[in-house]
Amino acid sequence: MAKALPLQNIRVANFGWVWAGPVVGQTLSYLGAEVYKIESHARVDMNRMLPAFAGGVRHPDRSLTNHAGWAGNGSVSLNLKKPEGRALAEQLVALCDVVVENFSPGAMDEMGLGYERLRTIKPDIVMLSMPAAGLTGPLRTVRTYGMSLTSLTGLDSLTGYFDGPPIPCENALADPLNGILGAFAILAALNYRDRTGKGQLIDYSQHEAMMQLVGPAFMDYAFNGRVAVPIGNRHPLGVAAPHGVFPCAGDDRWISIAVMTEAEWLRLVHAMGDPEWAQAPEFSCAAGRVRHIDTLHTRLAEWTRTVNDYELAHTLQRHGIAAAPVLNVADLYNDPHYRARGTFIEVQHPLGFRETIYGAYVKTSRTEAKVSPGPAIGQDNDHVFKQLLGLSEERYQELIAQQIIY
Amino acid sequence: MQGALEGIRVIELGQLVSAAYCAKLFADYGADVIKIEPPDGDLARQWGPFPNDQPDREKSGLYFFLNTNKRAVTLDITQPRGRALLLELIRDADILVENNHPAQMRAWGLDYVSLAQLNPNLVMISITPFGQSGPYSEWHGYDLNAWHFSGCSARYCGRPGEAPLEQGTFIADFYGAIAGAAWGFGATYGRRLAGGGQQVDVSCAEVAAAVFVGCGNIGGYAQDRKFDSRTGVGMSAGAPATILPCKDGHVWVMALEPGQWNGLRHVMGDPEWMQLEMFQDMAVRAQNQDMMYPLIEQWTMEHTKLEIQEKCQAAGCPVTAVFTVAEAAEHPHLRERQYIQEIAHPVLGNVRDLGAPFKLLACPGGPQRPAPLLGQHNDEVYGTVLRMRADERQQLRADRII
Repeated sequence: MAKALPLQNIRVANFGWVWAGPVVGQTLSYLGAEVYKIESHARVDMNRMLPAFAGGVRHPDRSLTNHAGWAGNGSVSLNLKKPEGRALAEQLVALCDVVVENFSPGAMDEMGLGYERLRTIKPDIVMLSMPAAGLTGPLRTVRTYGMSLTSLTGLDSLTGYFDGPPIPCENALADPLNGILGAFAILAALNYRDRTGKGQLIDYSQHEAMMQLVGPAFMDYAFNGRVAVPIGNRHPLGVAAPHGVFPCAGDDRWISIAVMTEAEWLRLVHAMGDPEWAQAPEFSCAAGRVRHIDTLHTRLAEWTRTVNDYELAHTLQRHGIAAAPVLNVADLYNDPHYRARGTFIEVQHPLGFRETIYGAYVKTSRTEAKVSPGPAIGQDNDHVFKQLLGLSEERYQELIAQQIIY
Repeated sequence: MQGALEGIRVIELGQLVSAAYCAKLFADYGADVIKIEPPDGDLARQWGPFPNDQPDREKSGLYFFLNTNKRAVTLDITQPRGRALLLELIRDADILVENNHPAQMRAWGLDYVSLAQLNPNLVMISITPFGQSGPYSEWHGYDLNAWHFSGCSARYCGRPGEAPLEQGTFIADFYGAIAGAAWGFGATYGRRLAGGGQQVDVSCAEVAAAVFVGCGNIGGYAQDRKFDSRTGVGMSAGAPATILPCKDGHVWVMALEPGQWNGLRHVMGDPEWMQLEMFQDMAVRAQNQDMMYPLIEQWTMEHTKLEIQEKCQAAGCPVTAVFTVAEAAEHPHLRERQYIQEIAHPVLGNVRDLGAPFKLLACPGGPQRPAPLLGQHNDEVYGTVLRMRADERQQLRADRII
């Protein structure tokens, strides 16, 4: 393992809020960047109050959800409502390559920390602005949560049981994905900066980024004017069957099975012990199976219903069929595959307790991500204000007393 | 205008969605992406959607969406001379994006260890449902299997007692593709510091299991050995946070913070029940949601989704319409931002396509050139990039290698 991580000379000031912004910082940090989240006791981020809490103690430095989602970010605490706080933020930005924010459009400008201002301090700064619907356009001020943002993209209209009403995804699917794609946007802009000497502002609309997921259904609309409906677990383009989730033995146990080719169908029939129903002519080709998908799925469910999901997945995999158990949260934690890959790891929080977060969610063969849990508020104040910005101990204490470093 | 990734060469060796979308992110921002297809083409060419549902390998909407701005060549890499040509392309590339089964890559002699000997600076982005290591790395899987293995569906989507749901698109593939692009380009950008290239091992299931489901659930489970599952309704910690039917479709009704709730009260004419003490806190409202949602629904059913969105937004309440794909695509916001673009294609004519996922204001990016025809760039790539003579190319064609 080489010691140097790919982004080790990149420094990031992360004004990101809640979930999407912090995952940008996390991704860059796992690749080696030095990332400081700028936050304050004057307005504690609601993400810090999400359960569960370490030891069951409700406190902004003990949210286990927060420590996973913000892992990799450092933290400095600055009260940006005060001019001296904003001045210190500017001094930090002058030493950074990248600024990240996901406030509503204009919020950074109102604080005097908009792109036009920051580029006078650091001309080649790369600034990622990722509001809900971008920096321009009639929806730019739309209020949404990550959970409902996808409703504006058409994605939510595709989610639900076949031809039924839309069923909500009960958490913000968009947030972490926007965080990761936001990191890619920054890397692209850094590449441009290194070649041309120029920084830039990135107008990242979470709405447009997530609408990419609707691409396949959008093309059917563009070509044929067809408006997609919820499709359950069916194939998004309706080309394969069986393609679904089937009940297994036990409470809320399920298996996913997807058959894409004739060879896979024949192997599935064989794995089921060549039942007579599977020989019916309507199941002999993909088009027929898709046409009779309800009957096919009912038949298959009768077969899976009494079997253990993991055992059945192993059996079907031995036959070369794409099948896997449907995991719940406990399964994620206990599954041997995720254990072997170190997907979830126990770490020491700077405040002294042990906790479990996710580790590097992508594996790299040469460099190893340094994973540290989400920060205690202001944990990097000493380093940033005294070492990086060169404040004297006296001035530093004064700013703390004035609740500017706060 | 120069793209942000100008000068980066990406070789794409894969089928369907994950590798293609990952490589598209590079192509959208100016990288030179050369897509390698088997002689009969990427399977996405067979999947549609097709205009008038008439299958034609040059008319697949899925293929179009995933492959704009790329050059495409055909190559039979199962033949030794085909494989040798692929290795020549990889030798001078910055990035290889692939989504083949690990055993298949080994069988082709295209595992990372072999390729790193050829090109030590290569970043190899491997995107598969389960990843390159771990007991299920040899499993066979598709997008559906990866998503349900990530915990997302059992935890967050579907009614209790009924099947957990996927999102209605290739969501696990998109998760893997985007993670592969970010980590893969990070590894490329910092190659000199890191001392060379590397393999970037993306499991689509793992990315979603970690950043989406793991984030809010795994710490609590590890500590308390308790976990939550889907409710089929919406958020369980606060209410209202659900999808309700309205006069012409559905709306996402969200009113959590006091200001938002008061905004909703105002828009709904502050009926008596909304003034009751039991409805003034989002957590208490969540406990009483079975009583509350039908009352809100009576009101939503009298109004259209756009009326509801406009009135609630104006009152500071984050309610949004559940747009159909058509409503989403035709929204004036996207028109003003020029998100939807028309691109001319030699067989399909003018095609409306989704634009850049994000705008780099100095060098915007986004699709400009249509998805390639099968083997469209064979002469260009084999002639100009690999400097083969016309007669050599003719021979390869005769031997069905390209």
